[in-house]
Amino acid sequence: MHTEATPAQPDVSDLELVTKCQSGDSQAFDELVTRYRTRVFGMIYNMVHNEQDAWDLAQDSFVKAWKSIQRFRGQSSFYTWIYRIVMNVTIDFVRKKQVKGTGAEFDDAIQLKEINPAAKTMPKPDALPYEQLQQGEIKSRIDQAITQLSPEHRAVILMKEIEDMQYHEIAETLGCSIGTVMSRLFYARKKLQNLLKDVYENI
Amino acid sequence: MKTFEEKWTAWLDDQISGQELADFEASLPDKAVAAAEKKGAHQLGLLLKREIIAPAFTNEEFFSHQLRERIAREEALPSSERGSGFSTWWTIRRLFWTGATSMALFLICAVFVMRDKDPTEPSPYLSQILTARIDPTVSPNATVTMFDSKEDRVTVLWTEGLKSLPSDYAAK
Repeated sequence: MHTEATPAQPDVSDLELVTKCQSGDSQAFDELVTRYRTRVFGMIYNMVHNEQDAWDLAQDSFVKAWKSIQRFRGQSSFYTWIYRIVMNVTIDFVRKKQVKGTGAEFDDAIQLKEINPAAKTMPKPDALPYEQLQQGEIKSRIDQAITQLSPEHRAVILMKEIEDMQYHEIAETLGCSIGTVMSRLFYARKKLQNLLKDVYENI
Repeated sequence: MKTFEEKWTAWLDDQISGQELADFEASLPDKAVAAAEKKGAHQLGLLLKREIIAPAFTNEEFFSHQLRERIAREEALPSSERGSGFSTWWTIRRLFWTGATSMALFLICAVFVMRDKDPTEPSPYLSQILTARIDPTVSPNATVTMFDSKEDRVTVLWTEGLKSLPSDYAAK
């Protein structure tokens, strides 16, 4: 995993900065924010698809991190730790938004019933050739497909495919077992394959 | 024991090898279909990597500035009014103290209630016994003795020579 575009290796490690934060050094925390704000914002944006919400949630996440920094014991990397906070804040937000909105769209149990693990991925009947899809349409199709995933499935697929995180890192971030991560990844991929087969097969 | 979903995911991501891989591949009913699914999953991954790009984070310095201000504002608040970072601890602490205070109040009230109760007041049952009569034709040699300890709030009724217990003695 990489941090925000910094040409040179940072002089001070995350852990040293955290130690300074724990002594009340707010400048050290500022440095940590500078290192991770872009990635945190990007990850949240990919979850919520709204810049203003992503901004606010990133702010909330860093405020929570500052308040909880005394409890950071260095058992995981700072990045994993802050990601855990980010994911809790974001998943909570998506759940609340979903409750206000359409209903039980993100129910894991429903998805388990809907997707037969052994089923083949079938193309959508109204498949469009890739050439006919404008770039904006492709992006829109992907956004729509991602939105149909539960917050947990969304988080897992983004962390695996976009952030290139390992199973154990995702598990640590979401506070679940590796088996759960793999299972969620399975259903998230199946659903996205169903929804986007006509797109990716024509690349 | 891994589930099918876990094995499938590990297989797609090339995270299984050796005997486990051989066993899993042998268990697949249609290898050609499975291979197509694997290829599809890789294509999906590439598509997502290529297309999912968050918009540029342009106001980075303003973001940090806003965050600094917010943290400063929260720091200025008394600890009891601060946000959720401390809320769990405070809630647990408050719960503990609330529980302890309630228990203490209950014990105090219980002691007062016990003390307030008049120990000299005879029970209705004792009055019932005292007003009962023993029939001299049925039990001519019967004697009834009563021991009463007001301090211990105990009354013992000692009967001798009764052929049967008068029905009035039965507690109502």
